Amino acid sequence: MKPENPRHLGARIQRLEDPRLLSGRARYIDDIRPNNCLHLKFVRSQVAHAKLLEVDTSMVEDMFPGTIVFTGKDTGALSMKAHQDYPEMQYAEQPLLATDRVRFVGEPIAAVLAEDAYQAEDAAEMVFPDFDFLPVIATMEQAQDPALPPLFDGWKSNVWVERQMAGGDLAAARAGAAHVIRRTYRNQRQTGVPMEGRGVIAEYDQSMRVLTVWSSTQMPHLVRTYIAEELGLPESRIRVIAPDVGGGFGVKGQVFGEEVLLAWCAMKTGRPVKWIEDRRENLLASIHARDHLHTLEAYVSAEGRLLGLWADITVDVGAYSTYPFTAAGDPGMAAKVMPGPYDFQAYEATFRGLASNKCPLGTYRGVARPSAVFSQERLMDDIAREIGMDPIEFRLKNIIREFPYRNVLGFTYDPGSYEESLLRMRDLLQDDIAAAKASRTDPKTRIGVGVACFIEQTAHGTPDFTRRRVPIETGYVAARIEMMPDGEVLIDLGLQSHGQGMETTMAQVAADALGVTPDRVFVRHGDTSAPYSVGTWGSRGGPLGGGAVHVAATEIGTKLKLIAANLLQASPEHVELADNRAFLRDRPETGVDIGYVARSALRNIDRLPEGMSPGLAAEASVDGPKDGTYSNAVHAAVVEIDVPTGKMKIRRFVVVEDCGTIINPLVVDGQVRGGVVQGIGSALCEHFVYDEEGQPLTTSFADYLMPQAPEMPMIEVHHIETPTPLTPLGAKGLGEGGAIGPPAALANAVTNALDFEVRETPLTASAIWHMAQDAKGV
Amino acid sequence: MRPTEFAYHRAETIEHALALLAEHGEDGRPISGGQSLVPMMNLRLARPAHLVDVNHLDMARIEEDADTIRIGALVRHETYLTHPLIARHLPAMLEAVHWIGHPTIRRNGSIGGSLCHADPTAELAAMAVLHDARIVLASTGGRREVAAVDFLKGAYVTDVQPGELLVEVIFPKPTGPHVGTFDEVGERLGDFAIGSFGVRLEHDGTRVRRLATVCGGARMVPIRMTELEAGAAGQPLSALDPVAFGQKVTAMVSPSGDFRASAEYRRNLIGELASRTLQRARDQAMGMK
Ligand SMILES: Cc1cc2nc3c(=O)[nH]c(=O)nc-3n(C[C@H](O)[C@H](O)[C@H](O)COP(=O)(O)OP(=O)(O)OC[C@H]3O[C@@H](n4cnc5c(N)ncnc54)[C@H](O)[C@@H]3O)c2cc1C
Repeated sequence: MKPENPRHLGARIQRLEDPRLLSGRARYIDDIRPNNCLHLKFVRSQVAHAKLLEVDTSMVEDMFPGTIVFTGKDTGALSMKAHQDYPEMQYAEQPLLATDRVRFVGEPIAAVLAEDAYQAEDAAEMVFPDFDFLPVIATMEQAQDPALPPLFDGWKSNVWVERQMAGGDLAAARAGAAHVIRRTYRNQRQTGVPMEGRGVIAEYDQSMRVLTVWSSTQMPHLVRTYIAEELGLPESRIRVIAPDVGGGFGVKGQVFGEEVLLAWCAMKTGRPVKWIEDRRENLLASIHARDHLHTLEAYVSAEGRLLGLWADITVDVGAYSTYPFTAAGDPGMAAKVMPGPYDFQAYEATFRGLASNKCPLGTYRGVARPSAVFSQERLMDDIAREIGMDPIEFRLKNIIREFPYRNVLGFTYDPGSYEESLLRMRDLLQDDIAAAKASRTDPKTRIGVGVACFIEQTAHGTPDFTRRRVPIETGYVAARIEMMPDGEVLIDLGLQSHGQGMETTMAQVAADALGVTPDRVFVRHGDTSAPYSVGTWGSRGGPLGGGAVHVAATEIGTKLKLIAANLLQASPEHVELADNRAFLRDRPETGVDIGYVARSALRNIDRLPEGMSPGLAAEASVDGPKDGTYSNAVHAAVVEIDVPTGKMKIRRFVVVEDCGTIINPLVVDGQVRGGVVQGIGSALCEHFVYDEEGQPLTTSFADYLMPQAPEMPMIEVHHIETPTPLTPLGAKGLGEGGAIGPPAALANAVTNALDFEVRETPLTASAIWHMAQDAKGV
Repeated sequence: MRPTEFAYHRAETIEHALALLAEHGEDGRPISGGQSLVPMMNLRLARPAHLVDVNHLDMARIEEDADTIRIGALVRHETYLTHPLIARHLPAMLEAVHWIGHPTIRRNGSIGGSLCHADPTAELAAMAVLHDARIVLASTGGRREVAAVDFLKGAYVTDVQPGELLVEVIFPKPTGPHVGTFDEVGERLGDFAIGSFGVRLEHDGTRVRRLATVCGGARMVPIRMTELEAGAAGQPLSALDPVAFGQKVTAMVSPSGDFRASAEYRRNLIGELASRTLQRARDQAMGMK
């Protein structure tokens, strides 16, 4: 629950890390320069699917003496293993370096290690793999064609996994329906683009037998765990450090083969080894995202009540299963979240992940939910159009109002503001809705308004991972806090902050419990020296990390009060901690500096109450609630389309969001806005394209189009705060939500503007022009 | 994404640059703004062994004589935006330049670099074609002039020979009253265009004396719609029909499609832009705006 009378929690304070980040004094992976370092360049497959017959490295030895080349012959069976323990799931590993087969353009074949990065790149050009080409699986149709051979020996088909999820009586829903509405929706493949790509440095200290790995990762502990298991080292002798990380967005929320390989290279060569990903590798071979195809069928009563939903979900997951969320992650998530914020009790979904000769799919901000919400919310509009109802009215008729709500799959939704946020949004859009109506007869300029209403399960914890049977075994987040004798506070947080502003938000949380100002709290993160936590992703940092900080800091705060009570000759209930002081609630002028209290606990311990042991440190961990906690939001887009050219301008983008207790509204605004921009990218322009040979066509920023500032509208963010009873602060997760709504909201706006159902993204000028051509009356 | 090894030479005079380029032949390459060449080198699509830095040469001026505007190879794109000679004589160019990349690109990129890079939808290439510009190339063997349409041979292919340097571009001045317009559509602001169209209209207040056009995105080089130009000459301004003109352009062009934009879209887009640019040019000529 939300703490009472917080001083710093909820305050709109500027981020404490910004001076460092904005003045170029951050320290990213490439800023770390160990002495005597070898630089690694990957030779990556340029073909999509082939037997790897031989890797000829003789030219490197001739032309670049001293250069080291490793191939799959050297790394052998070392591999990435990411298996979800479903009986239907087919098993496959990705070797760290290809051994006998390559399965996508970009797959690592060899590692070239040289004295500098230029030489490594020159030498890498002299490695010549010899291939025997195999038929390419480049489309969803091909992946489901039984005539084409599977990508892996021993597989029955190119389907990683196909499973069902169901609840309630769908046959009854179908039988009772006045309207049956069936639609197919498609989201394109894209990638996630952090400004800083990946990068790894590994160094092995042979005398101490300690391996240190610096990686631009969101999950240092999991990297440590995986390396330990794969290379047979004790976790105690591995330290993984994520320095300042220039964006992650989930892309860096997997353990990558490159991380394991660098560790192996450092041990093998006895020298530090460094690899900094370039942009082409980043686009080609980090992870890809989306690439969903959904067919939905809704059963609706004559009065416009949703009675049931049937879903068929297909995702092209690519060539390998990624760790730890696996090839079943995206399709399973889409099936799980499809029921959304609406009240109906019959559902059946089939989901499948297909294997293809493309870059493996991984987690990217929103993880399947942008696609699920796209389909769900497009469908809501299409139903409304078909039964002749206003789309917002139709949603209001079906929105969940009573909490806790047990959904059709048995998940319990904690309280939210689903209806209130939709009503608020409707008020905010009145003028735009009128303008859209007025433009309906204009042959040249059309205005459209679209909304997307969604919930987001956040703060996943151990119960969720156990249920999903993913390789992650645990989901708690931990923090260790220590107050120093001067009253300064040190937090070792198991998470990694790469844009979330945790150096500020965690300080705010601790500050309230410890009675100090946030500037006196130093938050260290991204280092396995902190207590174990599985990483920063899945919108868990605020609710769980903030929770752990709150619990640990409260424990220290309680002790501070006992000591202060002794010093002030009062009872502990009368002591308050605030403004760097401990004082009596009724007589604030009677008090001592917090440092004095701390000193009494750590140095001048003769001042401690009788029998109390010294020390001001505490560690706590907080796990996710059984079904997580559900944030909710409504996004709305107002667009203007120049019909003859298909050019679209976003006039307005509005968000009404509810993430429970807000720790810092500035940070929430920033997270939402950043997410929305990425969501706009998904909707309009980010598209990773392969041709029919599995050759990528968008391997630089000239072809892979990111959303840019000139096209961005002002993004208005409105907050509603419904604290959850399920986390220590009442906070719900909010890191991903911004990216979830825009594809649906924008597609609904285009649908509204052109009076034509949008079925797929990206909404390029060409695509919009074609839709306008096909629309009646434009 | 690191270039292959190269030697850097700073040329101090045009003669010096020409001598360096002659010496290194196929292995030598001038560099001016670096906005196209450096990315190509980082992608290892270009692998010059010798870079000849021409940024310090005396070819950064815009000059005028009786019949021409002469633009030095080093003139940066942003210069046109505030240059009175451009506004007066080459108004279409003023409109076109706004569409080139972003402020940093316009600050660094040069006309010599843009023309020699020869992107199919580069705005300055389109302007050179629209205005019947002549490209001046120098080498140790002397100078030669090539018409823009002959200079641009294909996507990223030009008539520049090893050892040659583009020193200036000569734009004939329009005679008498004239207007010029340009428009384009790209996926994002600053992207190379999917389609573009430019118009130069010389008139006497009531009739068309001469119509020139340029169309980007229809082929691998900017093209002129010569048939339509000829048909317009001598017509009353009021008889110019932008809609019909656009439809004709759509019918005449046959761009190819790709994942970004279909061929059908491109054809229609170019026609629409033709119609819009002609409409604005006609309205301006008739004093309506
Ligand atoms: C993000 C981005 C967006 C862009 N968008 C656009 C756009 O919308 N429209 C557009 O037109 N351009 C665009 N450009 C390209 C830009 O206009 C470049 O400036 C231009 O193409 C090249 O000019 P430069 O002076 O930088 O040439 P450089 O990169 O230095 O050289 C380009 C080529 O010309 C040769 N060269 C240079 N000078 C001479 C000379 N004097 N004689 C002979 N050869 C020479 C070089 O050897 C090289 O082959 C964009 C560039 C970027 C990076």
